[in-house]
Amino acid sequence: MISIKDLTVRIGEKVILDHIDLNIPKNSWTCLVGPNGAGKTTLLKALLGVTPYSGSLRDDNAEVYRNQKRNVAFVPQQPQIPAGMTVSEYVMMGRSKRDGWGNESVRSRSLVQNILEQTQLFGLHNQYITRLSGGEMQRALIARALAQEPKLILLDEPTSALDLHHQISTLNNIELLKDVGVTIISTMHDITLAAMYAERIVVMHEGKILLDGLAQSVIHSPELKMAFDNRINVYTLDSGRPVIVAAKDYLN
Amino acid sequence: MPIRRDPSAPQMGPMWNWRITAISALVLFAVAVLGVSLGPIHLNFWKVIKTLFGFPHGLQGQERVLLLDLRLPRVLLAALVGAALSTSGAVYQTVFRNPLADPYLLGAASGAGLGATLAITSSGGNVYGLLPIFSFVGGVLAVLTTFFISGKFFAEPNSLLLSGIAVGSFGTAIQTYLQQRHSSALRPVYSWILGELTIANWQVVRWSSLYIVSAILILITVSKQLDGLLLSDEESFSLGINPNKLRIIAVAAATLATATAVAASGLIGFVGIVVPHLVRGITHRVTNRSLATMAFAGAAFLVLADLGARTLLSPAELPIGVITAFVGAPFFLFVLRKKRVGS
Repeated sequence: MISIKDLTVRIGEKVILDHIDLNIPKNSWTCLVGPNGAGKTTLLKALLGVTPYSGSLRDDNAEVYRNQKRNVAFVPQQPQIPAGMTVSEYVMMGRSKRDGWGNESVRSRSLVQNILEQTQLFGLHNQYITRLSGGEMQRALIARALAQEPKLILLDEPTSALDLHHQISTLNNIELLKDVGVTIISTMHDITLAAMYAERIVVMHEGKILLDGLAQSVIHSPELKMAFDNRINVYTLDSGRPVIVAAKDYLN
Repeated sequence: MPIRRDPSAPQMGPMWNWRITAISALVLFAVAVLGVSLGPIHLNFWKVIKTLFGFPHGLQGQERVLLLDLRLPRVLLAALVGAALSTSGAVYQTVFRNPLADPYLLGAASGAGLGATLAITSSGGNVYGLLPIFSFVGGVLAVLTTFFISGKFFAEPNSLLLSGIAVGSFGTAIQTYLQQRHSSALRPVYSWILGELTIANWQVVRWSSLYIVSAILILITVSKQLDGLLLSDEESFSLGINPNKLRIIAVAAATLATATAVAASGLIGFVGIVVPHLVRGITHRVTNRSLATMAFAGAAFLVLADLGARTLLSPAELPIGVITAFVGAPFFLFVLRKKRVGS
């Protein structure tokens, strides 16, 4: 259980997160949605432990700031891509915390091999990471996060650079983590996709949380529309699945 | 997660290959023997080896003095400086995620240059007593100033880089002004800027080896983690690294090695870029696990360059910086071009 109480993050004078209270249950997929500048990425970084905050942000009853005893994987929106490193070396870095940097245990090697197969990267394992396409790079990032065998995984817009097919395959890969008891927290601009995968959706706006609840109820709530200044429309397909699109007529 | 063991699984291979390190150490030894044997007076290889290892029937008389008191300290100093510059270059390239970063990036060169100019203009006669101290202090002070004006410690590698450029220009401006006022200093300052190993003696070897060897040992100790700095700070934090602390340790050790090298030998360019890229080209590894190899390779490269400097126009001597730049500048363009094609 992650429990956030009265969490405030300031950068200089600017308040990025404004007195947030939130509880995130274990072994669930929670998705943070909201317009640009709502504070989603800042909240992810605070959850990782790299952003100073006031208030309390506890994971298993321990404050998270600068706490490296936890095992948290982080998948950034714009990763630094090291030149001259192969895909398997890159994914193997996920084992560094467990094996110690520069060491590779036998278990790590076979685990990484399985992960490369699972993320359809096996044929590319000797390829340089800089040569990968956007979709392959995203899979390599997910693969590295899987290699960490984390308890919590934080993903910042994991699908933003991907085509429709790869969005689904990436999200399917992430969903597998739930089977092994991992807590997933992601940000996502595509709320339709968020509702398809996450059980819980947290709607953020200007550093505050407008609504937090089960995906199906949040999708149809007025708060979601409010967060986007009523610039979105929510439709329901015959199958009952909600679809959220930007309101075209608003601009006119 | 279930683990399936497959005996036919392709090995991903160790990231650090001790064989390449051993070969580079052997190359260094061979080059060093060559370095102490060749010169205006050639010495017999076998006798040189016998003398070095204390076996009987080695060199005698003047040849022995030439080997032990003149050539050996010079070759050792070249090796130390080469090792210092190539490892610091590799580390700077990682810390700044920039393949063209060199050890002089944070103002060490211009700070040391200013220190050397001050030593030469203020000392009158005894230049070589003050010069190493002044240039060492100047180099370290310049890097500290760079840190100071970049604001937060390592807030961002790019801001540090820009501060380094500003500090560098400022130091060079003062240096140029001093040279203008003391035109007699022009020639010694200029020859120092081109790099020279002529001050080599056992005393210089002793103090420079103390600093350079400790700095390289520190760098090799943290080198496994340095790969993590190639990622964003958030990613490296999640992989168990404290990126700010690691960067400070790495840059501090690299600066100690660089400032010592500069104090002992002036500004020898391009070693810090050429050697790390050559080693990476041979080992096909971006990683810093080959830092020991880079130290040996850098040492061998500079011993060879110094041999060229002493023998090409013998008995006259070329500045060693001319040799390294002659090899280094075309290589620099090659790396630039390859990087552009690669990206």
